[in-house]
Amino acid sequence: MIAENTQTQMRKGILDYCVLLIISRGEIYASDIIAELKSARLLVVEGTLYPLLTRLKNNGLLSYNWVESTSGPPRKYYLLTEKGKSILSQLDATWQELSYAINTSKKVADNDTNDQININK
Amino acid sequence: MKKTLNINIGNSIIHIEEDAYEMLTVYLNEVKQHFAKNADDFEIVTDIENRIAEMFAEILTNQQRQVINIQDVQIVTAQMGSVKDFESSEEEEEETQEYASPPHFSVKKLYRDTDQAMIAGVCSGLSHYLDVESRLVRLIAIATIFLGGSGILAYVVLWIMIPRAVTKAEKMTMRGEEANLKGFANSYLQPLVHQSRGFIAEFLDVLGNFINGTGKVIFKIIAAGIIAFGSLIILFLIVALAALLGMWDSNVYQMFPLNIINHEYITASAIAAFLVFMIPVLALVLFSIRVAFNSRPVNKSLSFGLLIIWLAGVAVTSFYVVKIGSEFKEGAEFTQVSEVKPFQTYTLNIDRTRFFTKEDSLRYSIDPGNYNGRRILTDLDHNFDAPRNIRLNIEKSENGKPSLSQYYKAMGKTFEMALKNAQNIHYDFLQHDSLLTFSPMLQFVKAGNWRGQEVELTLKVPVGTRLNISKNFSRYLDGYGYWDCDHDSNSEFTVWKMTDAGIKCEHEETENSGE
Repeated sequence: MIAENTQTQMRKGILDYCVLLIISRGEIYASDIIAELKSARLLVVEGTLYPLLTRLKNNGLLSYNWVESTSGPPRKYYLLTEKGKSILSQLDATWQELSYAINTSKKVADNDTNDQININK
Repeated sequence: MKKTLNINIGNSIIHIEEDAYEMLTVYLNEVKQHFAKNADDFEIVTDIENRIAEMFAEILTNQQRQVINIQDVQIVTAQMGSVKDFESSEEEEEETQEYASPPHFSVKKLYRDTDQAMIAGVCSGLSHYLDVESRLVRLIAIATIFLGGSGILAYVVLWIMIPRAVTKAEKMTMRGEEANLKGFANSYLQPLVHQSRGFIAEFLDVLGNFINGTGKVIFKIIAAGIIAFGSLIILFLIVALAALLGMWDSNVYQMFPLNIINHEYITASAIAAFLVFMIPVLALVLFSIRVAFNSRPVNKSLSFGLLIIWLAGVAVTSFYVVKIGSEFKEGAEFTQVSEVKPFQTYTLNIDRTRFFTKEDSLRYSIDPGNYNGRRILTDLDHNFDAPRNIRLNIEKSENGKPSLSQYYKAMGKTFEMALKNAQNIHYDFLQHDSLLTFSPMLQFVKAGNWRGQEVELTLKVPVGTRLNISKNFSRYLDGYGYWDCDHDSNSEFTVWKMTDAGIKCEHEETENSGE
């Protein structure tokens, strides 16, 4: 249970960041975001994305344009707002910190295990 | 072959098979309910619907098909993810809310269960809702029918008000099962019932089934009842006919309409009337026999024969009705004025004795020598329905002398006949000093039929004359407000006084002068 919880929370935190990253590359349609996320092996089901996008949009990080589609109804194309961009840069910084933290932790851990192996030897 | 529906999802029209539609409906309802807690539920659900529409459109173009089937819905919903998947990704924010909100799907709804219906599924629907055996509900329902039929009314009201469980989702909610995809898959194989078509059409359907099934038994019971009752009526008619032919002496004291039928018409008109009433009853009985015992239809020549006899009966009856009716065409009346000996006070009474004329004496074989002109007491109260067409007016005498005018009126085919009928009236009036005795009814000198005979009496008395009027008179006095004058319930008489303005109740008179 604890493992699962931590996993979900990690995924969830990263998901927002990844979505913002994908959108930052330019105007994009929701199903293309999904495709990107899938290739990044992040998203399990599509249904999860829509509440996320709505939440980000309502927080002022995203906006969208209606674009006519050749097949079916007009589509929502999402893009980053100025606020979204500034938050993304903050997240970038945070991610740098986090990855540093993780990398460092991992190195220490590696060292520890190495030490233990050495002792055992 | 499968039934398809047209749905509008995400502003595009999609053909979809019925079972696939139901599955999709269940899925979207789950999604809606999941996001109902979210402030942006509408937008999210719209996004999801749009995406589903797009995926459907892709599937149809890619596979060059026309219709979305249940596999397509399964693929699309799997890609979209189930509510459980949504939950796991949002767990931390909703953890608190999740437990606060009541479990959504275990809520039962009241529907009519037409699959297990006896009539329209009201009882079995109630039994699902209340979680009791449907037999028990039905038993109670039948019991309430005997409470003044309230059960029937309640049933019809419930029938109209409670929606019928048509879709699988509705049927599941009716039984209190979870109307989610899992439950849906469980009942997936259940056959679909036909679409709902409104109350009237459904009512006719139910009626049709009812007549074919349960109704047949009830119809047979009703038919048996008609056979028994109809046979009884026929028997009664035969006895009545015999009694009429044997005992009917045409006289005026018979009940209407027997009292207007001439003696020589009795046999023919009685038989004709008998046929007119008996044949329809007989036909009804024959028809009921056919219904009750599934026997062959009634022989054609027999039914035609009955019809012709009935028509003949109707013709004869109407002939007599017209003939007798024509005897009421002309009216005649004559007046006979007799003097009344003057007294200061008169006492008016009704005498229920009967004056025997010479002819009466002969008719009853009484020695006329002994009885002619004698008054014989008869109790005529029992047939007071007989013409009692007597009215009494009390007026002011202009010449100061008391008198009694008797107007005799009657109808007839011609004026002569009418006059003859009027002359046939005998009315008893006797003065014995100040006691004026009136007969309660008119009599005929010669036996005859009722032809609208009536007697109007006008008693004229000088101003100042007092009248003690017997209470038996009340019904013959029109428009004098007799009962208003009836103050003393012990007294047999009410006291009136003739004034310039007509008669006044003595009681009122004294009251007025006292003021």
